[in-house]
Amino acid sequence: MLDSSLSSESGFEQVQDVFENPLVKFITWGVLSALLYHLVAGIRHLVMDAGVGEGLESGKRGAQAVIVIAAVLIVLLGVWIW
Amino acid sequence: MVTNVTNLSRSGLYDWMAQRVSAVVLAVYTLFLLGYLIANPDLTFEQWHNLFSQNWMRIFSLLTLVALSVHAWVGMWTISTDYLTPMALGKSATVVRFLFQTVCGLAMFVLFVWGVQILWGF
Repeated sequence: MLDSSLSSESGFEQVQDVFENPLVKFITWGVLSALLYHLVAGIRHLVMDAGVGEGLESGKRGAQAVIVIAAVLIVLLGVWIW
Repeated sequence: MVTNVTNLSRSGLYDWMAQRVSAVVLAVYTLFLLGYLIANPDLTFEQWHNLFSQNWMRIFSLLTLVALSVHAWVGMWTISTDYLTPMALGKSATVVRFLFQTVCGLAMFVLFVWGVQILWGF
């Protein structure tokens, strides 16, 4: 899709049309949601590597924060896609 | 005798570092691209084509492809060595794990080459 979107005006429009399809939107939303969650959790891991939030309580808080933040981002993502 | 040969480098620490560094590159690229698409709701073909025509974007994308391969290899290696174990699969664990890693490596290489073709081929 990236290649056709870059190849020509019509290729670009073709990709745009593909993304009008509700099933494609749903799959895109699913894949990007997984990526967003992985990204947020990953950032938390980097923070923990820096020594922050590695304790029992702070670790738990960190995990809960990741779930909340990721959930919010995933909802916003859904709004943006639809 | 070194029995660990399928990880990315020969030292766990290097893999650990490589995964973190590649993660940062991937995070920056992801946020940049998502931000770009959100900031340009009525994106035109010229705009999109010009973005990828600039050399810094091609190099940044290539760097991301390399980082993705490194990140994926260390990640999938960690998963395969955690779960495809003799405890789980008995005698055939090593063969299954090796096949799994080979498939991951092949997929990674194909996606990497395909990416380069797209970036420099349009």
